[in-house]
Amino acid sequence: MSILTDEIRFYVGKQSERVFACDPVEKGAVRRFAQAIMDEQPKYGAEGIDEGGQSLAPPLFPPFMFRRPLGTEDPISKRAEDPDFDGLTLSVNTGLPDLPLPGLALLNGGAEIEFYRHARHGEWVSQRSRYSDIYERESKKGPMLFVVTETDYETRGGDLLVRVRQVNIRR
Amino acid sequence: MAEQALSFEDVAVGMDVPALARGPMTTVHLMRWSACTENWHKIHYDRPFSMEHDKLPGLLIHGSLKQQFLFQVLENWVAPRGWVWKVNFQFRAMNLVGETLSVWARVTGTERLADYGLATLDIGIRNAADGAESTPGTATVALPFRAGPPLPSPFAPPVKIPA
Repeated sequence: MSILTDEIRFYVGKQSERVFACDPVEKGAVRRFAQAIMDEQPKYGAEGIDEGGQSLAPPLFPPFMFRRPLGTEDPISKRAEDPDFDGLTLSVNTGLPDLPLPGLALLNGGAEIEFYRHARHGEWVSQRSRYSDIYERESKKGPMLFVVTETDYETRGGDLLVRVRQVNIRR
Repeated sequence: MAEQALSFEDVAVGMDVPALARGPMTTVHLMRWSACTENWHKIHYDRPFSMEHDKLPGLLIHGSLKQQFLFQVLENWVAPRGWVWKVNFQFRAMNLVGETLSVWARVTGTERLADYGLATLDIGIRNAADGAESTPGTATVALPFRAGPPLPSPFAPPVKIPA
């Protein structure tokens, strides 16, 4: 039986509002990121500058800028006594409506990432997402739904930095 | 003597990109990435939870960290003149703490455009111990011609003119 219904197809093309990360590109955050990915290039440091006189962030820094703003509910304390809490918290969700797929597991199937320019220290970055495709494939365990969410990460001035097409599998 | 920066003319189908080794990946590497990205998913640092509650074989190396390595192996190859434009990958299998990852890429195609060239590649991440592939994918990088102008910055994808 197909799980790709007209009700689900209706979500293709739905788009979220544009939201900004709660902090700009911070040099300390860039340093910790470059060290954690083991790519300590001088251009990511405060003294490392590109041709335009700016220090840069690694290519995939922008998608990880969307954190829980100060003063919002702490999901870790809220579920501190829940033995089934796996620690997974969404810092900031995409702003897209949830698909009505209760009971279906969600697997990270991979992504396609397009890279256009480095974010620079001090820049503010926004994200905006849309469901770009939803399709079904048969597997040995039955039908699987592939949900493709496209997110653009842009500067305040509208420069596209990174575009991510995330594929989540629901089954 | 410093190696010459890679140009489109240096690239041919079948060429292997110098592999990138990452590891052995310890719990501390994983904790550092979790803290850096505020990703508190226990399967990356809480071994009893991962194995007893989630029935996983150990602590998992983050997919979000593995994708950084896919960019790095390509960026190391094309820098400083080239550009890693597209990286596409699937998470087909888990990588566990303790593994050393071998990140690889091989050229599968080239295309000469008016102002620069494109190279397409197969990419992936193997467990160095047994060669098992976990993260197969493809990528496209842009490279300037040896005597050509620098690539557009910000990178502008090629405009295809219909034949």
